[in-house]
Amino acid sequence: MFLHNYIYRLKCIVRDRELMFWTLFFPIILATFFNLAYANLSEAEKFAPINIAVVDNKEYQKNAPFQRVLKSLSTTSDDKDEEGIFNIRYTTKEEGDKLLNDKEIEGYIYCDNGIKLVIKESGLNQTILKNFIDEFKQTSSTVETIMEHNPESMHSGLLDRIGHRTNFLKEVAPSKSSPDTVVNYFYTLIAMACMYGGFWGLKEVTAIQPNLSPQGARINVAPIHRFKVVIVCILAAISVQLFEIILLLAYLTLVLKISVGNQIGYIILTCIVGTITGVTYGAFISSIIKEEGLKIGALIGSSMTMSFLAGMMYDKMKYIISTRAPILGYVNPVNLITDCFYSLYYYDTNSRFFTNIVILCVFIAIFSLCTYLVLRRQRYASL
Amino acid sequence: MYNNILGVFILVIKVDNLTKRYGNLIALDHFNLEVNQGEIFGLLGPNGSGKTTAINCILSLLKYDKGTVEIFNKPMAPDAYDIKKDIGLVMQNVAIFDELTVYENVDYFCGLYIKDRNHRRELVEQAIDFVSIGYYKDFYPKKLSGGLLRRLNIACGIAHQPKLIILDEPTVAVDPQSRSNILEGIQRLNKAGATILYTSHYMEEVEQICTRIAIMDKGRIIATGTKEQLKAMISSGEKIRVELFDMDDNILQDLKKLPHIVSVEYEDNFLIVKSSRGKNNLLAVLDYLKSNNIAFGKIYSEPPTLNDVFLEITGKELRD
Ligand SMILES: Nc1ncnc2c1ncn2[C@@H]1O[C@H](COP(=O)(O)OP(=O)(O)OP(=O)(O)O)[C@@H](O)[C@H]1O
Ligand SMILES: [Mg+2]
Repeated sequence: MFLHNYIYRLKCIVRDRELMFWTLFFPIILATFFNLAYANLSEAEKFAPINIAVVDNKEYQKNAPFQRVLKSLSTTSDDKDEEGIFNIRYTTKEEGDKLLNDKEIEGYIYCDNGIKLVIKESGLNQTILKNFIDEFKQTSSTVETIMEHNPESMHSGLLDRIGHRTNFLKEVAPSKSSPDTVVNYFYTLIAMACMYGGFWGLKEVTAIQPNLSPQGARINVAPIHRFKVVIVCILAAISVQLFEIILLLAYLTLVLKISVGNQIGYIILTCIVGTITGVTYGAFISSIIKEEGLKIGALIGSSMTMSFLAGMMYDKMKYIISTRAPILGYVNPVNLITDCFYSLYYYDTNSRFFTNIVILCVFIAIFSLCTYLVLRRQRYASL
Repeated sequence: MYNNILGVFILVIKVDNLTKRYGNLIALDHFNLEVNQGEIFGLLGPNGSGKTTAINCILSLLKYDKGTVEIFNKPMAPDAYDIKKDIGLVMQNVAIFDELTVYENVDYFCGLYIKDRNHRRELVEQAIDFVSIGYYKDFYPKKLSGGLLRRLNIACGIAHQPKLIILDEPTVAVDPQSRSNILEGIQRLNKAGATILYTSHYMEEVEQICTRIAIMDKGRIIATGTKEQLKAMISSGEKIRVELFDMDDNILQDLKKLPHIVSVEYEDNFLIVKSSRGKNNLLAVLDYLKSNNIAFGKIYSEPPTLNDVFLEITGKELRD
């Protein structure tokens, strides 16, 4: 019974030319256009040190660890092995403002009851700066906690080890791979394609719901539990969609030579979780909206909005969201999937990656639960 | 039909006081129905009278406000799988998957009932032959005409050889050839042992194949019986039409005085005489015309139809 259903659902899905276009060929075509459009952009954005200023006031002078870290990342650093990330000038606050206005620097750091970042525009360089400062704050607060509770450990080189965490910066951007805004467009594209898997979820739920299609009514008069059918249908949808995403990924990496890093296992995991998110999202939409046209509209509209907010059309969007309304980044599956690829590519540590995966799983659970609650109804008020 | 040995009827469907509302609209109003084993039971009613709603309630697809439904003497419920396995449904809307071929469609739906693959293959082939669409086995539904689609729709509903087959207007918008193929098929299914519940708004079809008929209007059953019983319920009998070229009021008045004559009208060169039950009304009319030397042309005599039954009970035509 399982196999019978599964195979026929696969046939129904694969032979649906219109949806095959939207879920498979459309992303591939879009990727091809992106590639044409951004071919030169990437070159232009090859990494150059970021010009910044630091306001040299009393508080800064007191913060020796921060000085040390900044220095090690400066282009004037003694460490000849590493290229510096920041081109630092030491100024007063007023000079900093002026430099910022004249676009001589991307931003300046100002210590006043904590380390503050002043910027005017948003972009990748600003993102790197902000990440750097956030990470430093986090690390130093760890150090402070340890100092309070276990001062002796400071002597045993712990500080050094923690200090090492600041090495992340070399991973955030420059050293591991150049900060390539272009790849992010492609990551968003993969994420969008995952959400387009919602079309399959939508199709499958429609096919088995008696109030949505006559076929659904026919299935519902058969002596078979509806949930058995639903689960098989969703599995079939996920199988096909996952295959399509892998094809897209292969096209991006092998044909367009877009790098996704080399953590194959995690990349596949992202594809799987992303696909399931998309398919269950579609099932969810299909179960709460009855009217066919409205369903498709809602699916396309919402996944486009999510893609836009994740930076598919405008790369600075990601930065704007992460500074102005970070919560929006966490409730946007497209952004979460994009960020999975992004963090696999840019970071050495995987904590950010796993945070994203966990949040996506929460989404899957919510979508599945809502779909279940709606589908649980056995008799309908109207067909 | 009844069980010959015991001489009693075996109930297949028993519906009691079914009431179903859509908001303010009462789609089924204390609807009662009893279908016996072996019958071809016809549910006849105009568009919107509630036939489809009744079927969907009987099958537990729809919620209803009041009433009980029993099938095979057991209460029907969404999870009554032991009942469902013996039911076949042919819906008013064609319910097939466009992405599957004719054969695959029948096989898919049959597979929800029959697990054994070899047995299923046989059943699917039989069902396809049954509605004579073998030639189109590998066609996709998009390439089929409306009549062929309807036949496929039927094959999908009956392939698992159910004991009870429910067909909801299977002949709507179908060419005459497909229609007679379908009607004849239903009779064959019945002969093979299936009990049939058949809905239609075509009285000719129902008269042609049904052993018992319920007439419904506005969600209620207004009369039940064999077609003879139904026709016997009403006062008007045969309708006589005589072509007449010269006409005057005297003829009308005189004819009205004849026994059993209910109404006499003259329209478009035709004299229309409606009679109540009673035989030889035609002869009486012709005698009168002859003895008065009135020249007449063609003569038609029509027995009462279910439309007349419907007309008399509800005061309106079954159609339109
Ligand atoms: N989902 C619904 N919501 C509201 N009203 C409905 C719904 N479905 C049917 N109705 C109404 O219920 C009544 C009975 O409809 P139903 O479809 O059962 O009639 P029917 O006898 O099958 O007609 P037809 O011959 O056209 O198929 C009609 O008045 C119809 O307008
Ligand atoms: Mg109907």
